[in-house]
Amino acid sequence: MKLHHSLAIGALLGAAVVTAALAQQSINSSQMATSLANVSGNNKLSMTGAQMRQAVLDYIRDNPGALPPRPMSFPQLEGLTQFVVEVDFDFGSAVIRPSSYRTVGAIADALHHPLLLGYGFLVIGHTDSVGGRQSNVVLSQRRAEAIREALIEPFGVNPAVLEAVGMGEEQLRDPAHPTSGVNRRVQLVNVGKKFCFGRSGEQFVCQ
Amino acid sequence: MKRASFVLASLLLTVGGAGAAAAQTMSYADAISQIATVCKNDIARYCKGVPLGPRLRACFDANAARMSPQCQQTTGAVYASITRRATAQRDIGDICSADIMRLCGTSFADANLVTCMAGLAPQAMSPRCYQTFLDTGWATEKARP
Repeated sequence: MKLHHSLAIGALLGAAVVTAALAQQSINSSQMATSLANVSGNNKLSMTGAQMRQAVLDYIRDNPGALPPRPMSFPQLEGLTQFVVEVDFDFGSAVIRPSSYRTVGAIADALHHPLLLGYGFLVIGHTDSVGGRQSNVVLSQRRAEAIREALIEPFGVNPAVLEAVGMGEEQLRDPAHPTSGVNRRVQLVNVGKKFCFGRSGEQFVCQ
Repeated sequence: MKRASFVLASLLLTVGGAGAAAAQTMSYADAISQIATVCKNDIARYCKGVPLGPRLRACFDANAARMSPQCQQTTGAVYASITRRATAQRDIGDICSADIMRLCGTSFADANLVTCMAGLAPQAMSPRCYQTFLDTGWATEKARP
């Protein structure tokens, strides 16, 4: 366990990737919201969560081995605004450690920010390469779901705007060091406007 | 000027914190990290392996009698603040719809609207709408980057 948990912020728009590391205490939900709201020219996600989960399993089947031969590519995600955070879980489990409660609260603050009202998000879990590839997909799915569930209750994020996907070790951030902690991360992806609001505040599915 | 005094009042209320009869709600990050800090030992002892979410809260409720008084008090104040903020963020559209049609002339729930509301004098809004807006925490957020 690292003593200082770091938060990696990647505001990823097209090919431009900006990454900065902040101490956990200084997680800034306004900054997170502003990054995630930077959707000019943003594409809408063209596949469902179920299709993404299937694509990960197909990739493992088509590329067998102890490690993925190369990080799985997801071109559908590349044009979408996203933000990467580190959340600590108990070893081999989907239980979020108290040291990461603040991070989950900061995600909730960001998702409730006025700039992001009505947008949909993917919560994508990634593991390192410790453990089997299939079981890492399962573990990262459970971890992404644990974050989604905490965001819904107690933090009141609308369940209809959140989808959890586990990618296991299929997209290692540092393939040269597959067991490194930088690979364990949670990716929040803005998948576009889900709900629009009428003049008197009523909410409806955007056309 | 009116806006400046409004922001100042919000800041003073925030400094009051959870003990100040919840005149202002805490950010979710500040709220839940109080539990992580104050209840660290109680979580390790009574709620180890319980996921953050509804089950952690149920665990606190089930073990209230044996938890440290500090943790008991903190969980009460923190969950009250979280619930109040989440309820305000959910219901502000209904509670403030007449006010925002009259004062902001824009559709509900985008950043422009929040900027408009933050610039209003508190007394321009109905008291219930104003309190709800305070509870959302949006008054002190920057609605625009």
